[in-house]
Amino acid sequence: MREAISVPYLKAGLKEWIFTTDHKKIGILYLTTTYIFFLVAGLFGLVIRFEQNSPGYQIVPPDFYNYLLTGHGAVLLLWWGIASHIGGLGNFLLPLMIGAKDVAFPRLNALSWWAFFGASVLVLLTLIPGNHIKMMWTGYPPYAGNPDAGVTALYVFIIHLIGVSSIATAVNFITTYIKMRAPGITFWNTNMFVHALIAANVIQLVGVPSIAGAVTMLLLDTYLGTNFYNPAKGGDPLIYQNVFWFYSHPVVYVMILPIFGMFSEIVSTFSRKPLFGYTSMIFAIWCITFLSFIVWIHHMFVSGVPDWARVLMSYTTILIAVPTGIKIFNWMGTLYKGAIILRVPMLYALGGIFMFLIGGLTGIPNAMVAIDLGISDSLFIVGHFHYVLGMALTFGIFGGITYWFPKMTGRMYPENIGKLSFWLIFAGANIFYFFQMIAGILGNPRRYPDYPPIPEWVTLHHIQTIGALILGVGILVYTVGLIKGLTSGEEASDNPWESQSLEWRLPSPAPVDNFGDEPPKVEPDYHPYKYGAPPAF
Amino acid sequence: MAQGAVHHEPHHEVSIWPLPIGVGVLLMPISFTMFFHYGWQLPGLIAGGVGLALILVGAAGWANEHFTAEKEEGFGWVGILSFIISEVVIFGTLFAAFWTARVTHADEWSAWVPEGISLGMAGILTLILWASSFTIFRAETALEEEGDSGKALTWVFLTFALGLTFVVLHVKEWIHLWGEGFTLSSHMYGTGFYALTGLHTSHVIVGLIAQIYAMWLLASGRMNREKPTMLRATSAYWHFVDVMWMLVAGTAYLVGTAAL
Repeated sequence: MREAISVPYLKAGLKEWIFTTDHKKIGILYLTTTYIFFLVAGLFGLVIRFEQNSPGYQIVPPDFYNYLLTGHGAVLLLWWGIASHIGGLGNFLLPLMIGAKDVAFPRLNALSWWAFFGASVLVLLTLIPGNHIKMMWTGYPPYAGNPDAGVTALYVFIIHLIGVSSIATAVNFITTYIKMRAPGITFWNTNMFVHALIAANVIQLVGVPSIAGAVTMLLLDTYLGTNFYNPAKGGDPLIYQNVFWFYSHPVVYVMILPIFGMFSEIVSTFSRKPLFGYTSMIFAIWCITFLSFIVWIHHMFVSGVPDWARVLMSYTTILIAVPTGIKIFNWMGTLYKGAIILRVPMLYALGGIFMFLIGGLTGIPNAMVAIDLGISDSLFIVGHFHYVLGMALTFGIFGGITYWFPKMTGRMYPENIGKLSFWLIFAGANIFYFFQMIAGILGNPRRYPDYPPIPEWVTLHHIQTIGALILGVGILVYTVGLIKGLTSGEEASDNPWESQSLEWRLPSPAPVDNFGDEPPKVEPDYHPYKYGAPPAF
Repeated sequence: MAQGAVHHEPHHEVSIWPLPIGVGVLLMPISFTMFFHYGWQLPGLIAGGVGLALILVGAAGWANEHFTAEKEEGFGWVGILSFIISEVVIFGTLFAAFWTARVTHADEWSAWVPEGISLGMAGILTLILWASSFTIFRAETALEEEGDSGKALTWVFLTFALGLTFVVLHVKEWIHLWGEGFTLSSHMYGTGFYALTGLHTSHVIVGLIAQIYAMWLLASGRMNREKPTMLRATSAYWHFVDVMWMLVAGTAYLVGTAAL
C-alpha cells in the first residue's frame, strides 16, 4: 500500500505514524520512546541511590537491587545512550543536513524502528517479577547463565533486537551519506554532527556483530549445552569478555561522538564564529573511531590477561586522549573572542563539555594498569563514567533537543525553564558524581547494595543523595519545559538561531517532503559554520 | 523510494510491510524464551510459527512493492557491501572462540577429533561452492553486459542447484558425525565445528532464498538490464559466503584435524 500523505507530520493520524517511512517521524518516535525509557531508568537510579544512602538494606531486597542495577545500566546505555541521538536526532537531521529527501532505504528505516520497538517490548516484559534479569548489563558468564541471574534468553534477545536495529540503521545511514548528498555538499563542508554520526555508525557496523556473537554463544551455552564458556570442556569465559568489550568499548564512542558533533554545531552557532579547526575535528573523529577498536583490554585489567596486552592497551587508551584533547581545544578556540550568546542550548553544550572534561581527566588514571588495579570495580569508576558518558551525553542530548526543537515542532523551548533546569542538573550532577568518585577512592566497591558503616562513607553517600535529588528535580523541570514548549511554546521562525547550516533553510517545523522533489541548491562556498569571518582552515 | 515517485504536492509515502516483519522478529525471541526457558512447548511453537509467517508475508509484500513501483537507484549495492562487513565480524567472534580453544587445549585436542571426519568431504564441498561462484558470476555478466535475462536465469538456476547440493551433502555429513558421538556439547571441537559450519550453512540458505527471489524477478521480467542491483547484491553476498567457506573449512576441518 502506498499513498501520498500531505498533512504536516506532527498533525498526522495514528495510521501514518504506524506505517510511516518518513525519517522525521521515525526520528520523533525514537526520541519519544527513549525519553520515556530514560525517565524510568532514571527512577531506577534514584531507588538505587536511596538504597545506598545508609549502610544495611533500606528499601529493596538485594535480588531486586540487582535487577534495578541491570535495568538502569542497560536502558541508559542502549536506549538513551545510542538510540536517542542516532535513531532520534540522527534520523531527523541526517537527510536535512545533507539536503536529501529521506534516508537511502526508508522502509528499512521503519523496520529498524520496529526492531527497536521489539527490544523495548522485551525490556518491558522483564518488569514482570518472574522475568527479572539480574546479570548486570555486561552479562558475564558463567553467572549470566545461572538461574539466579534471571531469564538469560531475554537478556540475549534484547541485545539481538537492538543489534538488528543498529546494523540496519548503520547500513542505511552510511549509504545515505555516500549516495544522497545534495550537489555542493561534500566531505569538506558536511556538518560536524553528520561526520560524527557516520563515524559512529561505522563503529556500529563493525562492532555490533561482535557483541551479538558474544551473547549468542551465551545463549547456546545456556540452552543448547555448547561449551564456548565452559572451561571443563575446552571453552573459556574470557572469550566472552574479549568479544563483548570489542564492541562495548567502541560503543562509548558511538554514544559520545554524535554528542561531540552537537557540541560543535551549538558552540559555533552561539559564538557566531566558524568552528575552529574544522579539518582537525574530522581527523580527530576518525582517529577516535580507529583507536576505539584497539583499547578494549582496559576493561579487563583485573580479568587475568597477559601483561603485554595490558601494557599495549594501556598505551592505546591514553593515546585516545590526543584526538579528544584536540576536540576540546577546538571548542575553546571557537569560543575565543566569539560573541558568546548564552541561550539554553549553549548552556547545555558548555556544561556538557565541562562534564566531559572532568570525566576525561579522571579516565586517564583508569587507563594506567597500576592505578586501575586499585580502583577497578570501585565507585570511582562509576563516578567517572557518569561524568564522561552519563552526564556529557545527557547534556548533549538535552542541548540538542532544545537547539533543534524549533525545527522539530515549530515552537521554541521555553528559555527560563531551560535555564533553571540546566543549573539544577549541573549542580546536582556535580555534587552527586564528584563525591561518588571520592567514595570510590576511599575503597567503596561498586554494585553492592550494602556497605560497612564507615563514617566517611556514610557522609559521602548522604551528600550524593542530595546531589541525586537536585539532579532528579532538574530533569523533571526540563521535562516540564518539553511539554510546555510543545503545547504553548512561542512560535518559532524558520531560523531562530540564525544558523548558516542547511537544515535551517527549511520552514519550521520541517515540511513533510523536506526540500521537495528537487535537491536544494547551495551556494558554491557553502559551509555550515560560515559565521562572520571566513572558515578558519 | 521517496526519490523515485513523482507527485506534485508535498507528500511522504507509507508502507505497511515493515510492521508485520517487525512483529514477526519480536515473536521469534518470545517463542524461543517460551520453548527453552519456560518449557512451554506448544505456545512457543505457535508464537514461532506466527512470527515466521508474518516475516514471510511482510518480506513478500515488501519485495512486491519495491519492484512494482520504484525506480532503481543502485543504493542496494552500497548497502549490501556494508552489511557484508558486519557479517564478517559475526564469523570473527566464532573464529576467536575456536582458535583460542585450539591453541590453549592443544594437548587434549587430538582425543576430540572423530574418526569419520574427512578432508575429502571438505574438498568436495569447496569445489561445489567454487563452481557456484563461477556460475553466479556468469549470470551477472549475462544480465549486465548482454542484457539476456533468459541466460541469466539459467546461470542463477545452476548456482541454486549447486548451493542446494552443498546443503544436502553438508547435512548428511552432520548426521554422520553426530551419530559417531561428535556432538555440539561433547567438547569445544564439537561446539566450534557445528557452530562455524552451522552459521555458514545458514548463510548459504539465505543466499539460496535470495536466488529463488532473483529467479522469480528474472522470470517475471521485473529485473532486467536497467535494474540489475538485486542480482548484483545476491552475487556479492554469494561470493562472500564462498570466501567465508574457505576460512570456515580451513578452521573446522584443517586446523581442527591437523596434529599441531
